[in-house]
Amino acid sequence: MWPFARTAALIALIAAQAAWAQEKILRVTFQAAETGFDPVRIHDYYSGTVVEAIYDTLLTYDYLARPSKLVPSAAVAMPDVSSDGRTYTFHIRKGIYFTDDPAFKGARRELTAQDFAYSIRRFFDPKNRSPYAFLFTGKIVGLDELAAKAKAGAQFDYDVPVAGLQMPDRYTLVIRLKEPDRNFNYVLAFPNTAAVAREVIEAYGEESSAHPVGTGPFYLKRYVRSSKIVLAANRGYRGMTWNFDPGDNERFKQIAERMRGKRLPAIDGVEVSIMEETQSRWLAFQRGETDIEYQLWEVAPTYMTDDGKLKPEFVRRGIQLDRTVDPEITYLYFNMLDKVGDAPNPVGGFSKERIALRRAIAMSYNIDDQIRIIRKGQAVRAQYPIPPGVTGHDPKYVSLIPYDPRAANALLERYGYKKGPDGYRRQPDGSPLVIRYASSPTERDRQFDELFQRGMDAIGVRVEIQKDRFPELLKMEKQCRLMLRHAAWIADWPDGDNFMQLLYGPNIHESNNACYQSAEFDRRYKKSLTLPDGPERDRLYHEMTRLMEVDTVWLLADSRIRNSLQQPYVVGFTKHPVLHAEWLYLDLEPKPAP
Amino acid sequence: MAAYTLRRLWQFVPTLAGVILLVFFLFNWVGGDPAYLLAGKIPNPETVANIRKQLGVDEPYAVQLWIFLKQVLHGDFGVSWSTNEAVSNIFATRLGPSLTVLVPLLLISTILSMAAAMLVAYVRGSLTDRAVMIACTVGQSISILVYILVFQYVLAYELGWFPVQGWGVTFRDNLLRYSALAIIVGVAVSLAPDIRLYRTFFLDEINQDYVRTARAKGMSEPRVMWVHVLRNAAIPIVTNVLLQLPGLLAGAFLIERFFGIPGIGREVILAVERSDFPIIKAVTVYVAVATMAVNLLADLLYKAIDPRVQLK
Repeated sequence: MWPFARTAALIALIAAQAAWAQEKILRVTFQAAETGFDPVRIHDYYSGTVVEAIYDTLLTYDYLARPSKLVPSAAVAMPDVSSDGRTYTFHIRKGIYFTDDPAFKGARRELTAQDFAYSIRRFFDPKNRSPYAFLFTGKIVGLDELAAKAKAGAQFDYDVPVAGLQMPDRYTLVIRLKEPDRNFNYVLAFPNTAAVAREVIEAYGEESSAHPVGTGPFYLKRYVRSSKIVLAANRGYRGMTWNFDPGDNERFKQIAERMRGKRLPAIDGVEVSIMEETQSRWLAFQRGETDIEYQLWEVAPTYMTDDGKLKPEFVRRGIQLDRTVDPEITYLYFNMLDKVGDAPNPVGGFSKERIALRRAIAMSYNIDDQIRIIRKGQAVRAQYPIPPGVTGHDPKYVSLIPYDPRAANALLERYGYKKGPDGYRRQPDGSPLVIRYASSPTERDRQFDELFQRGMDAIGVRVEIQKDRFPELLKMEKQCRLMLRHAAWIADWPDGDNFMQLLYGPNIHESNNACYQSAEFDRRYKKSLTLPDGPERDRLYHEMTRLMEVDTVWLLADSRIRNSLQQPYVVGFTKHPVLHAEWLYLDLEPKPAP
Repeated sequence: MAAYTLRRLWQFVPTLAGVILLVFFLFNWVGGDPAYLLAGKIPNPETVANIRKQLGVDEPYAVQLWIFLKQVLHGDFGVSWSTNEAVSNIFATRLGPSLTVLVPLLLISTILSMAAAMLVAYVRGSLTDRAVMIACTVGQSISILVYILVFQYVLAYELGWFPVQGWGVTFRDNLLRYSALAIIVGVAVSLAPDIRLYRTFFLDEINQDYVRTARAKGMSEPRVMWVHVLRNAAIPIVTNVLLQLPGLLAGAFLIERFFGIPGIGREVILAVERSDFPIIKAVTVYVAVATMAVNLLADLLYKAIDPRVQLK
């Protein structure tokens, strides 16, 4: 009996080892630590990525459609929208279950419309101090009033009926808006709007960020904060079959050929390591310790040729490269107010002299150098406020503001900014001209400082670099107390409105960093909100962009290129412009023996 | 000794009070407003006001300081502003990885540098002494960042002896597999300054009368060095090693970041980046208390090592 038992144990051990060896675990990295996985509480990209993998939203994006296209996720179909555009009716798929958790006391817990309603309410609970509450603020009938009561000191009431959130049956959610909102569907594809179970949130309380329980394709298996996040495939996931239309894109066709018909998720899990340092990520990828790496632009010249292709030694090793332009813009903005705090603002206002000064500064800043030196060539020039991959982008648009320091000097001379004996220009009234350029004390910002300084030296404008820690810069920016700063905006959803709102007057103190207020711009913006994507809205966006350029509110700089390197055995990966986690849609082939 | 210890413990109070005041005013002066950071991409004034209220940073400074004092007294610094994790849990879970690296690092580097320092002190003025001192001066001038980059590239990437970075589940795995390279880097960085410092301690002792007397009495050189010189030089060495420990806990962030070690140092940097005051407060207070405690411990150890020492 004993020898038999030993043999059986040995066989079991070998079988277990074989099974383990065959597990398809995707290994990726984050370059910054996550903050948690409670959808309403997070605001960083990395936490959002994990949230997207664990939870379900009502809507999501087609993996391969470009420009990005919304498709149903936990909803059976796209919502029925009433003729007045104010009522959205979602039907939730039946038979979607949360992953098991002690909070459910041993019962299987089905996802219902109530869970989505509860999750939306959570944005308004002051206790959650949700950074994405703005997604719903002022939109859903009755919800703001409920939040106001809680802010006045009362406990937030999750049980009181809200006119704008109704569940006529277990699987139907009716959302009533105060005003029509063409972007509302995009909001419901946002990972932060995913459904959580009330029992779980109440069971874990403040610790719910570390105990995510969702209905998505993965669940949290092991978590070492700021270090390791291990996800395992949710075997109870409703699943889906890989069946995306690749269109005319050759790379997508190759992906479709290898992935079509596979049951998703095709991998068994994901292991995320937090690696802040580029060298660590780069060496780990080269050593085969990670499978996909898309945060390596600092070392891009090491593995890429000047024309954006992989160097031959990496091609020979079978490394794959997926290159996409991020749906983002970076820009240099000017504070448009007449005063910065209590002090006069030499770059603010709408007089011809001030516009000339802003234009001259913008014309002396070399964006090509920014792309070449700071971005290491991994960016494209941004000409239009709406970046590639976002609805409303115009690839033919050319900015009115060229790089031309000579013309910039001539412009300043013409408008009375004469050089003093010290070689620096003075204001038309003879007073000293000093530009305060704000940046944080990081190595990357130091490079921006030098580039900006070089541009200003070329036109004889004296610059003071205002160094402050990022939180303080953010505060001053929102209070319109910075004169000039580089900023960036990445799409929350792939629609032009998400970018044009950055210049809308009422968004001062929120997203309008330049504190720009133009009646002409605002009038067009308000009209654009009533229009669907199409030529009429595009025309308005063109006019708004020209207005911004004429006033010289921004100097549009670049959109970064995301180079995703993949090991030879990774199949089906391409970086989606909006989705954070593509892990659901890819597969891993057996790795070659070491 | 008991009276001395009590007196020293009593001196902790004003020192700690000074640290509390300093960290409180520094944070409020240059720390930045965390509310804007936590408010996300579109921090409207209402959201910011709510966050400030939730965090208590809208309270008058006196109230905030009183809350801080109560936290110190209770040893409970609340939860992290950015992750909601209890600060006590942060320390409980990050201390282990830090110590897994730091304890072997300190032990190995102390033993190696003491041995090397004693050797070069013994052959003072020789070619070996000069060569080691030049090497130490060069080694000390090189930034820790260079050590990390080079060792990681050569030993982990080129030679493949260690993983580039990472952290496992078991203590054995973490100590032998994931911490090894970090420990080697740490030892390499600390050897040069430690050898130089310890050499002076040994030289001070070698030139003492009692050493000359021991030699005159015909005592063997190994006995003179290993028993008498080492024992007396050990006092400042022990002080140096102990005093390094609290600072190293919070200061080893570069090693922890590059090698993916989820320790205290890395957490401190994250807290500073996120303006996460509860963690900053806790780290500062703990490091201050640890430094004072270690100072006291070092003084008590003097007495244990050398009975001639009088504690006053």
